[in-house]
Amino acid sequence: MEVELRLFATVRAAVGQRTLTRECDPDTTVAELLAALEEDYPPLDGRLLDGSAVAGGVTVLRNGTHVTHFEGPETALADGDAVSITPPVTGG
Amino acid sequence: MTDSLPPVYGGEILHVHLDTGETEVEEIDPADARRFLGGNGFVAKQVAEHVPVEADPLDPGNVLAMAVGPMNATPFQSTSRGVLGFVSPMTNGFFDSTFGGTLPRAQKTTGFEVVVLHGRAEDLSYVLVDGDGAEVEPAGDLAGMETYGTCEAVREREGVGYDTHVLANGPAGENEVRYACLLHDSEIREGVAGRGGSGAVLGSKNVKAIAVQEGEFEPEPVGDLQSRSVQQMGRLMEDTEMLQEYGTAGLVNPIHEMGKLGQRNMQTEQARPGEAEAISGETLRSEYVTEDTTCANCAVKCGKHVSVEAEGVTGAKIPEFESLFGTATMQGVYDIERVIAANDRCDRLGMDTISWGVTVAFARECHEKGLLDEDASPHLTFGDADGLVELAGKTAHREGFGDDLAEGSFRLAASLADDATRYLYGTKGLEFAAHSARGLKGMSIGYATATRGGSHHDTRPTLQYDGHHDETTEGTPAFAARSQHFTALGDSLTQCRFVSEGGWGPRINDNYREAIELATGWDLSLEAVERVGERVYNLERLINVARGVADRESDTLPYRVQHEPIPDGPSEGMYCPPAELDTMLDEYYEYRGWNGNGHPTTETVERLDLEDVATALSE
Repeated sequence: MEVELRLFATVRAAVGQRTLTRECDPDTTVAELLAALEEDYPPLDGRLLDGSAVAGGVTVLRNGTHVTHFEGPETALADGDAVSITPPVTGG
Repeated sequence: MTDSLPPVYGGEILHVHLDTGETEVEEIDPADARRFLGGNGFVAKQVAEHVPVEADPLDPGNVLAMAVGPMNATPFQSTSRGVLGFVSPMTNGFFDSTFGGTLPRAQKTTGFEVVVLHGRAEDLSYVLVDGDGAEVEPAGDLAGMETYGTCEAVREREGVGYDTHVLANGPAGENEVRYACLLHDSEIREGVAGRGGSGAVLGSKNVKAIAVQEGEFEPEPVGDLQSRSVQQMGRLMEDTEMLQEYGTAGLVNPIHEMGKLGQRNMQTEQARPGEAEAISGETLRSEYVTEDTTCANCAVKCGKHVSVEAEGVTGAKIPEFESLFGTATMQGVYDIERVIAANDRCDRLGMDTISWGVTVAFARECHEKGLLDEDASPHLTFGDADGLVELAGKTAHREGFGDDLAEGSFRLAASLADDATRYLYGTKGLEFAAHSARGLKGMSIGYATATRGGSHHDTRPTLQYDGHHDETTEGTPAFAARSQHFTALGDSLTQCRFVSEGGWGPRINDNYREAIELATGWDLSLEAVERVGERVYNLERLINVARGVADRESDTLPYRVQHEPIPDGPSEGMYCPPAELDTMLDEYYEYRGWNGNGHPTTETVERLDLEDVATALSE
C-alpha cells in the first residue's frame, strides 16, 4: 500500500522534502513508519520515537486527526492515508 | 501571612495623574504580593480599585496600569514581559494585554512594579518614568505619527538612544479605533500589546507614548534562580525549536493540516491546496526572513524580521500566526507579500491584526451576502489583497467605511440588518483568535467563559492540539478553567507563554512552584500556586460582574459556532450546539463555585480571599 507523508518545519528541514510517498506493507503501524523514517533519514534518528511511543518532540496526524484519537503509535495505516509529522503545536 | 515584601519586588506603585502631572507613590502591601504575585494580578487589582463600574472605557475614569512581575530582571529566562490592565473599549470589561521587548526589564529597575495612568492630559503628551518617578511631557509635535516613528522621536528627545524604552501609540490609538494597540520598538525586538484596545485607552488619555529609563533597583531572588534557569535551558531550547526557526508562523501548516484554520470568515476551515503553504512559516523563513530577534533575557529568539522589496518593506516584524489568520486566511488572501505589507501597515498604524482582520472578514462576508454595498464600502471582496492594505489606512484614520471598521465587528453588525449577526466570530465584543471555536472543544467553553472574550490567552489551545480535550466535552469545562488559572498565573509572573509552555510545561506544575519559591522564599504548595491563578481569574470576573458584562447570557458563542458545523476537511462536522454549550456552562460554573448565572458565590469569594475587592466593587 502507499502512504503519503507530509512534513513540516524542523522535520521537513531534516528530511529536505515537503512530502514523501512510501510503499508500506498492509497494516503498517504509525510506530513502524516512524522507525523506518528514522532509519532512512539520520537527522531524524531518535527524534520521532521514544521507545515504542511517539516522541514528545513531534505531533503525528493521520488524515488530519491526532493519532491519540486512534491507537496512538499502534494505529494501523491504510492505503492512501496521509500522515503529517510536525513539531508540537505551541505558541500562537 | 507575610509581613515583609521579598527583595525580588521593587515594592512601589506609581500613580500618575495626567490632568495635573502630579504623582504619588503607594507601597505594595506584602499580603497583596502573596495574593496576586504581580503583573496580571496587580493590574486587575488597580482596575478594581480605581475604575468606577459605570465609567466608559474611553472616559478619563478608566486607568491604564502597566505592571511587571516578581521575576523580571532576574536570571529567570523569558520574563521580560509587561502587562497592561484597563477596561476594554471592545468588551467594556477588564482586559490585560501583555508585551515583550526591553521595557519591562527597565521598568523593574525603577522599583515601580506598577505604573498607573489616571485621568486625561490636557494636551497630547508622553509619560517618562524613571527611578525617581514620572514626568508628563508635551508631545504635540508627535500628533499623527506612526508607532515606530514615535518610539524614535521620543528616544531622540531623551537623548540616550535605546536606553529610553518606548511603548507608543499610532494614529489608530489617537483616533480611538477601539482595537488600537501599542507597539514597543526596542533595540532587539518589537513588542506589541495587541489586544483589547490599550491604544484607544491611551489615546483617550491624550497620551502618545510611555517611556521608561532604567533605575537602580536590582531584584534579589531569595534562592538560586541562576542555577535553576541554567538547569532548564536544555529542555527549553529543545522544546522551542519550531519557535526558534519559524516563529509562531510555523503553526500555519500544522493547524491547517488538522482542518482547524478559519478561511473566508470561517465559512470553511480548510484552504485549497497550496494556499496555506504560501503563507506558512516555512515559506516566510526560506524567502523573507532577514534576521532573528529576541526579548531581553531570552535565548529562544522567536521574533523575526522580514523584508519584501516589491512592497518597499524592509526589516518589518514578521506576521505572527494569529495575524496570518486575521489578515490572510480569513480574507481569502494568500499573497504573502501583500499580507506582510498589510501587517506592517497595521503595526505602524497601531492596530490589533486579529480584531481588525476578523472585522474586515466579517464585512467581506456581509458584502458577499448583500448586506453591504460596494459603493459605501469598497474593497470588500474576499481575496482582494490590494484592498486589504488600503483598508488598514482607512480604518486607522477613520476615513469613509474605515470609520465603521474602526468600531469592531460587533458594533458594525449592530448597524446592519439582523442577519449580519450570523456572520460574527467572537464573543463579549472581542473577535476570536485563530484557534477554532468549533474544532477544539476546550476552546468552545474557554472562549465562552473568557474574561477577555475572544482571547486565546485565557484558555490555551496548546494541549488541545496534542489531543487533549479537543474532541470531547468530558471533563473539558474543568480543563478550560484550569487552563485559565495557568494563564492568569503566568501573566502574573509575567512569563512568556510560548517559552513557559515549551520549556516548563503547559500545566501548572512543580517547575512553577519551585521558581516562585526561589524568587520569593515563599513555601507554597502546588495547590496554593494554582489558587493564585484562580484568584486572579475570579478577580477579573468580579470586575466584569460589577460592570454588568459577565453572566450566563454573555458566556456564549456566536451563531456560526453553535449552528453551522465545519463543512469539510479533517474536522468536518465539528461545532458546539446550544445544548452542548449549556451543559458545559453548568459544569464550568459548578467547578468554579459560581452560581447558575455565572457569578462567584460568597463562599467562593471568601475561599479565594477576595472579600475586600468584592466589597470595593460593590460600593
